[in-house]
Amino acid sequence: MTTTHEAVPGEGPQQRTVTRRRRPLTFDRVSFMVVFLGLPLTVFVIFVASPFVQALYYSLTDWSGFSSGMNFVGLDNYVKLFNDDIFLKAVRNNVLLAIVVPIVTIVLSLTLATLVTIGGSGTGTVRGLKNAGFYRIISFFPYVIPAIVIGLIWAQVFTPTSGILDAVLNQIGLTGFKDFAWLGDARTAMPASMFVMIWGAVGFYMVLFIAAIRGIDPEVFEAARIDGAGRFRTATRITVPLIRDNVQTAYIYLGIAALDAFVYMQALNPGGGPQNSTLVMPQQLFTTAFSKGQFGYSTAMGVVLAAVTMLFALIVFTVNALTGGRDPRKAKVRR
Amino acid sequence: MTTPNPLSRRLFLQRAAVGTLLATGGSTLLAACAGSGSNDSGNSGGGADKTADNPFGLAEKATVEAIIFNGGYGYDYVTFAADIAQKKWAGSTFKVDPSTQIAQQLQPRFVGGNPPDLIDNSGANQIGFNTILDQLSTLDDVFEANNYEGTKIADTLYPGAKVPGTFDGKFVAMNYVLTLYGIWYSDSLFKENGWEPPKTYEGLLELGAKAKAKGKYLFVWGKEAATYYHTMAVDGAIKEGGDEVRLALENLKENCWSMPQFQGIFKALETMVKNGYFVPGGAGTQFTAAQAKWSNDQQALLYPSGSWIENEMKKATKAGFDMKGVPEPTLTDAPKLPYESLRSAAGEPFIIPAKGKNVAGGKELLRAMLSKEAATNFAKTRLAPTIVKGLVPADGFGSTALQSQTAMLDAAGTNIFDYQVFGLYGMNTDQLVVWNSFLSGQLDAAGLTKGLQEITDKVRNDSSVKKIPVTK
Repeated sequence: MTTTHEAVPGEGPQQRTVTRRRRPLTFDRVSFMVVFLGLPLTVFVIFVASPFVQALYYSLTDWSGFSSGMNFVGLDNYVKLFNDDIFLKAVRNNVLLAIVVPIVTIVLSLTLATLVTIGGSGTGTVRGLKNAGFYRIISFFPYVIPAIVIGLIWAQVFTPTSGILDAVLNQIGLTGFKDFAWLGDARTAMPASMFVMIWGAVGFYMVLFIAAIRGIDPEVFEAARIDGAGRFRTATRITVPLIRDNVQTAYIYLGIAALDAFVYMQALNPGGGPQNSTLVMPQQLFTTAFSKGQFGYSTAMGVVLAAVTMLFALIVFTVNALTGGRDPRKAKVRR
Repeated sequence: MTTPNPLSRRLFLQRAAVGTLLATGGSTLLAACAGSGSNDSGNSGGGADKTADNPFGLAEKATVEAIIFNGGYGYDYVTFAADIAQKKWAGSTFKVDPSTQIAQQLQPRFVGGNPPDLIDNSGANQIGFNTILDQLSTLDDVFEANNYEGTKIADTLYPGAKVPGTFDGKFVAMNYVLTLYGIWYSDSLFKENGWEPPKTYEGLLELGAKAKAKGKYLFVWGKEAATYYHTMAVDGAIKEGGDEVRLALENLKENCWSMPQFQGIFKALETMVKNGYFVPGGAGTQFTAAQAKWSNDQQALLYPSGSWIENEMKKATKAGFDMKGVPEPTLTDAPKLPYESLRSAAGEPFIIPAKGKNVAGGKELLRAMLSKEAATNFAKTRLAPTIVKGLVPADGFGSTALQSQTAMLDAAGTNIFDYQVFGLYGMNTDQLVVWNSFLSGQLDAAGLTKGLQEITDKVRNDSSVKKIPVTK
């Protein structure tokens, strides 16, 4: 999983008024430019830009992956992709994940963050619930566990008959679930998998939102309370608008994680789940490349996945901008 | 991974790029996989003259590298053989390394033109044979050579040893472990209840009813192994209808799954599912956990599998289970091939890339594995016979399952068949989905037929997949 979190910028770009003067190209200046401009650029071009170009090229070939020979086939792979019902099913599953997982995670983590920061006693200073620190640590736990371990643990919990879930349901009298295969039934496999992903992510985003809420001047909350705003109203009308940028960032990170989802799905249902109901694009890409030996075709899948991810980010930015968010170009993470 | 030749700048960049990309996101997972490699043809590994004692011309002080799939059989049996070879060729080095990700680990080496000398291309991540066929050495001379005891190797093997490793007429993979497919049961449990292992699908249905009366199930399945029932059904249909059925499958014929042999079996299985003869929830159960419900809890009476099952479940088998196997059932009691016929093929395909540094060394290591000493060691420690015949004593090293294997092979005689179509085109992943749905009762026999036919049709209609016709 890739959750590379952006470094926190300081107070944003400060416009400095530097009078531009042409200075002579001394050795100092040239060596400075080589080290601080040339080197990073070279690294970027070699390790980031060129692989992307290579990937685009391979997606236009019939490369098997195990030989050095390949033929250029133009857009054949892409035509095949859009007629491949299993891949299209994977795309639909990914889109569903990218819609549901971020929304549920954000609503849950925002609620929890509000409770531990401003949900406390109605008198005195604005503060969180009693023992807020304890709840905060507890809910952060899942994020400390690697995703693959989370997946494997929950796979055991969902195991029919011997799994904890079925055992508990059976104990409380719901005997219909005695040997229910949560991950083996097409109706429940996807919701169960989504639950696991959300469970794993809520703690981290809660901490992120807590930091954001802490960044808001407490006087704002006090003023709202004096004006008679209840906790719910404070949360929806004060907190959310003020930490809007954080929510947007969280939405994009979660969306990218949901578009990947490889680790969770591979741990829960390596084969793609009943009727491929939990199959995601990276899984299909992986089997196509390594067990079917069609690297060209699977690279095309990778390109489609990249395109879908970028499209997703674009939609989130646009929606945020249209609904009155700040200019996305100025959006930045504040903690 | 060690690269014997100096790491070229290009290769370094390509690999480094793989690393960077994995860090930046799965979306471009494959982007940097090198597409063009060096074209050095590698040397054939010779060096010394070929003699009866050194049939492949192994050079003095040679280095041989083997990558072995580390699965149910482990990999130390190859180390054992390597030690034997090492003793014989003092000064040479035989290096054996395990891997569980054959395709992922070796893909860059195949592209780069520096593959290892010997590979056990097995397991869930094996390399599809149709993608590397052109890059493999033929192994005919291995079987023509004399073994370490001085007998021609071909004469020491079970008949048909070359068949499963022959693609398009080229013998490129030596399958080492003799595997047969059957239905496995607890002899003690069956004796206690006076049951007989059924020979037909009708018999299976009757036994299912008896099991139900005892509060037990007939079968159990796990989500990664739902296709064991695919194997059972296909083998039963081939026995029922003979080569006609097998060739239709192998050549991806239209409507092959609608043949009456399949339809009869699918209908019978559908009835079993409907009657609740399968332990429920298999589509959500990990396969070894499911198998333990048969071997340890004895909730289910029968399990269709390959002969590796005893070794696989060794630690999760009830004491006094007395595992035994019988041939897979046929649809009627008058099949085209006799009931005793078996799908048996050697498994664990060992391949030698033609571009390897030391092809002769890879072959020499195979020769060591086929020696009496190494093959006996395998049979004894893994409770499974190799393709070298006559090394399992009558008591099967104390294993009832191994005894029954010998008995099944003796009864089958020459009625042995095999097919490669599903592994060859990598169809198992897609078939698992359909079978899991069918065994959970979400698909009926017609739905199963349609699902399997779609998978077959997809491969047939995909012009980018190289087809390998089968004529006999």
